[in-house]
Amino acid sequence: MKDVVLPASLNELLEILAGDPDATVYAGGTDLLVKMRQGLVDPALLVCIERVAELRGVIDEGDKLWIGPAMTHASLLEHPLIQRHLPLLVSAVEKLASPPIRHMGTIGGNIVTASPAGDTLPPLYLTDAEVEIRSNGSSRTVPIFNFVLGPGVVDLQPGEIISGIRVAKPPAYIVHHFEKVGRRTSQACTVVSLAALMSVSRDGLIERARIAWGGVGPTVVTSKEVDEALQGKPLSIATLASVGPLVEAAVSPIDDVRAGAEYRRAVAAALVLRLVQHGDR
Amino acid sequence: MTITFTLNGQPVEVDTAADRRVVDLLREDLGLTGAKEGCGSGDCGACTILVDGESRLSCLMLAAQLEGRTITTIEGVASENLHTIQAAFVEHGAVQCGFCTPGMVLAAMDLLHRNPHPTSHEIRQALSGNLCRCTGYQKIVDAVHAAARSCDLREGK
Amino acid sequence: MKQSEQKPDSMLASHGPKDTRLSIGTSAPRADAYAKVTGTERFAADYYGFDLLWAGVKRAGVPHARLKSIDTSHAEQAPGVVCVLTHRHINGANRQGVIRKDQPVLVDNKVRHCGDAVALVVAEDKKSLAQALELITFDLEPLPAVTDPEAALVAGSVLVHEDHPGGNVLLAGDQSTGIGEAAADECDVLVEGCFRTPRQEHAYLETEAGWAQVQEDGKLAIVCSTQTPFRDRAEVAEALGLDLSGVRIIAPYAGGAFGGKDGVTVQTLLGLAALHADGRPVKMWWSREESFLAGTKRHPATMFYRLGAKSDGTLHFISVRLYLDTGPYDHLGGVVLALALEHAGGPYRIPNAVLKGWCVYTNNPIGGAFRGFGVTQVTAAIEQMMDMLAQRLDMDPLELRLKNAVRQGDRNCVGKTLVTSTGIVECLEGLKRHPVWTERDAWKSASGPFKRRGVGIAALMHASGYGPVVPDFANAKVDLTREGTFRVYCGVVDMGQGNAATNAQIVGAILGQEAGRIELVLPDTDLTLPSGSASASRCTYTFGNALAGATRILRARILQRAADLLMVRNTEEVALIPGAVRCLRTGREIPLQRLAEFFGDVERVATDHFRAPVAAEAETLNPDVNLRLHGLPHTLFSYGAHAAWIEVDELTGGIEVKRYVALSDCGTVLNSQIYEQQIQGGIAQGLGLALTEEFLVNEGRITTPDFFTYILPTATDVPEIESIPVEIHEATGPFGLKGVGEIAVNGPLPVVANGVADACGVRIFSAPLTPERVRSAVAARAREETL
Repeated sequence: MKDVVLPASLNELLEILAGDPDATVYAGGTDLLVKMRQGLVDPALLVCIERVAELRGVIDEGDKLWIGPAMTHASLLEHPLIQRHLPLLVSAVEKLASPPIRHMGTIGGNIVTASPAGDTLPPLYLTDAEVEIRSNGSSRTVPIFNFVLGPGVVDLQPGEIISGIRVAKPPAYIVHHFEKVGRRTSQACTVVSLAALMSVSRDGLIERARIAWGGVGPTVVTSKEVDEALQGKPLSIATLASVGPLVEAAVSPIDDVRAGAEYRRAVAAALVLRLVQHGDR
Repeated sequence: MTITFTLNGQPVEVDTAADRRVVDLLREDLGLTGAKEGCGSGDCGACTILVDGESRLSCLMLAAQLEGRTITTIEGVASENLHTIQAAFVEHGAVQCGFCTPGMVLAAMDLLHRNPHPTSHEIRQALSGNLCRCTGYQKIVDAVHAAARSCDLREGK
Repeated sequence: MKQSEQKPDSMLASHGPKDTRLSIGTSAPRADAYAKVTGTERFAADYYGFDLLWAGVKRAGVPHARLKSIDTSHAEQAPGVVCVLTHRHINGANRQGVIRKDQPVLVDNKVRHCGDAVALVVAEDKKSLAQALELITFDLEPLPAVTDPEAALVAGSVLVHEDHPGGNVLLAGDQSTGIGEAAADECDVLVEGCFRTPRQEHAYLETEAGWAQVQEDGKLAIVCSTQTPFRDRAEVAEALGLDLSGVRIIAPYAGGAFGGKDGVTVQTLLGLAALHADGRPVKMWWSREESFLAGTKRHPATMFYRLGAKSDGTLHFISVRLYLDTGPYDHLGGVVLALALEHAGGPYRIPNAVLKGWCVYTNNPIGGAFRGFGVTQVTAAIEQMMDMLAQRLDMDPLELRLKNAVRQGDRNCVGKTLVTSTGIVECLEGLKRHPVWTERDAWKSASGPFKRRGVGIAALMHASGYGPVVPDFANAKVDLTREGTFRVYCGVVDMGQGNAATNAQIVGAILGQEAGRIELVLPDTDLTLPSGSASASRCTYTFGNALAGATRILRARILQRAADLLMVRNTEEVALIPGAVRCLRTGREIPLQRLAEFFGDVERVATDHFRAPVAAEAETLNPDVNLRLHGLPHTLFSYGAHAAWIEVDELTGGIEVKRYVALSDCGTVLNSQIYEQQIQGGIAQGLGLALTEEFLVNEGRITTPDFFTYILPTATDVPEIESIPVEIHEATGPFGLKGVGEIAVNGPLPVVANGVADACGVRIFSAPLTPERVRSAVAARAREETL
């Protein structure tokens, strides 16, 4: 029989974590309880953070947004600040898993699970997300690309918890694009995803592009070479196709039960072509 | 551990292990077998219940999390008569083997509370977490449409 | 909280609106929907009860091995364990199977697949059960696993059953018509193809489940989710060494089955557990992962086809070589092969056929009954071959099919003269007139960026029943209760297809009664009469005929008694109305409850028997007595024509089905809602096979063990489906009906494959048509074109 505690405050939570190094935190449980069922983990103490008010909320900080890690995916989708300032995150999260999972799972959980296919991650990379980390007596901040270290591996020490996520509101990009490719159209584990922020001039030139891919590497893949190669070029099939080799070189997908590496590599490049649809604006 | 919550409109107090799965608590301890277990891993939706009005998967919830919550299972949906959604399911042939049905009804309730006039696509998306192997989903979608229209008619729209 | 008292009761199923008029051809809501929609209907998985024990299985975990010993000592000592059972505790034959009894209840000498049951634990609760199962070990001598069916046929291959005279061949079939292979040279055009279809998981929402208890009178009662209660009773009795009369099987509404519960799953294990439970009830409910591991699958098939025609499109020759991987146990594998061979040429006249097939034992997961039952596999092949032939002949694919489609009186590809209703031409002509066909070019030319559009069609046929040897029979019983209601004793299990509701409808229609006056007793070997399996598209056809007969007997008796009491000359002067019998001339009425008082107990009950017709020419057509036993040939067929608009995404290879139309000849429609339910559901399951469901096995081990890795269609993956019944009255069917349960599942795979070929100019010969397969086929073709 396992102990399950539901702390009511962040301080209470941090004390529990400080007191028991084996304490395992969960919010929605949609990843942890599945791992427990598979026998991959067997924690003696479970700490459910769904009632810690300080871990929820979305705060407008001017040029940044602070997001509570225990915000469920559904609550993010419904939040006016997220809708207004992070349409890219909305676009990704509305395709994540399924409605009941979105009512339970949280953005913090998605980050800590650190699946190469995690749908919140590409948008968080493109909005320069920083992860606030607290323990009982310390705090630090880590950029997301240093926080997520590999599949299922994040920079969290025993006793530490994500206490906040801070993202930069994207400057006035015209294009907030997210495409998810899976084996079915809903409740799908991402095989390849592409997130893109672009600003396009009135005469159709790509002023700035930032692209991130999910499912094609141990963590989210971004590529300065691809972003720079697109800059200043017309938004056309020819331009988008021309970066294909750079994309294929940037990604490092694996074979798994859902798809092969070769497919993932080819699709990562192909999905860039879809950005041409934004040329009509 | 003693847990107090509201279940289908009634206050309830149970004494149970904190880590007991809610689906087991409902089915085995409280005799409410309407919520079904189809996979135990959050992939099929057969265990769907409403928690504070929101659809959740009871196979991925632990008893301790029930404290202070308002829970609705399929047994709490109908009053003297069938709920509009249940009646629509019956009328439109949305029920075949029936094992997915309680979860589907609750998922549809969650949808219509949020979005009283969903399109077919929105209905399908809202039900995408509930697998059905019998119907091909079409009559379930038809039933939810009909239920939405019924609610409109009752509200004089 | 107290646990609810539960014991097997007489399964009186409740239903909703009492005043629903029941008649043939209307679309009354199903009788079972009300209890299901309120969560009050109890499935086998919902049985608990006071003093409950839990039973669970320790499975082999290796595909092939000799069992040297089992160590249960630690498990026996574990807390909460009541007993740990092995084959030593089985007094009976310890063998199960429908045709060939080759599957042990608990392994005694050899492990033949990873899911083989080796030991059975009975414990006080699920946790103790799980812990005890971990403590069981066995000493196994691993054997090389047989994992490739074609390799398994090579002389000298490792044998799955050393004692089987056929080696690794469970069943082989060889049927020739006309001049056979010599006809190939007479063809103007010959196309060839090799098609592969995968295993498919039934994925019913209710996994294998049951509850058992030795009752006070010593009878072993088993409640289970099953398609075959009477056969189960026989299997349990034989396997465990009990008298038939000492076993009772109760079959509630099953939470889906699709063939996966056609045959023993939990029944013998539960029976064994209950026999060692000292009168306490025992529950077994397979987890989803266990269902994947131990349950049966659709047979994967490799099919080599050659199809030849004259230059005007007249089909002249077909050669088929068909390999089915049946896993380690019979489980109806031979019957699947026989049905596949019979349907290998599709609904066409082909005068010269060479049809060969092998159903092969391996150490892969068990192949068993799955809706479609071999016809799904061969339809995927023949319907793609027809498109390939049409392309070679530069003929319209629909016209090619119409030209060759069978009509009543023609012979099909095994030489069977079609003597029952044959509506394939009507289905194809209906399709030809439908906008899905007439507007296809306009739709195709309107595709957007990165999309390619195509249209695919398929012509379908599907036999019902068991073939010429195994009797396809049913026994129906209806009684007039003392309360003046009618109790219908359903012989065939309702696993979601709605036959229980249809039974109520048939009885209500014949007796002129409303829904509230009809009670259903679900199958129970103590209460209902033997009526065969819920399978083979025969449920309503066979049982409905028996039920209509029994109901008419009862009706005649009621009218006769009323005529006597009302002192009229003959029964034409009285009529059954809802709740009463009325004298037509005088208007005087006797309520049914009053009338029932004038019935002796014996008179209250009416029974009737029906046995489905069989092919008269079976022996001459198929001289192979073993193949005849396995079902070849049948005599009653349903038909269909499907079409879909397919859109392929060039960037991802993803396929979207934009529109799906199904025309079906399944006789007359008793209830259009139930009919459509079967068509829509079958198509959804077929689309899963076509697009998303890939069951992977590597060296005998499953690599898609759950719903996370095995991809089922969700509500956003299945399009709107338009179902058009082509109603041709079948003279031998109740009210003109034929089977509708299976045929629709056979359409989607060839429809999608043909649509993709039309859209992209490439044919994909392996299913499912995953985005990866599609993309790589399109890319390969593009590379070829640039060379």
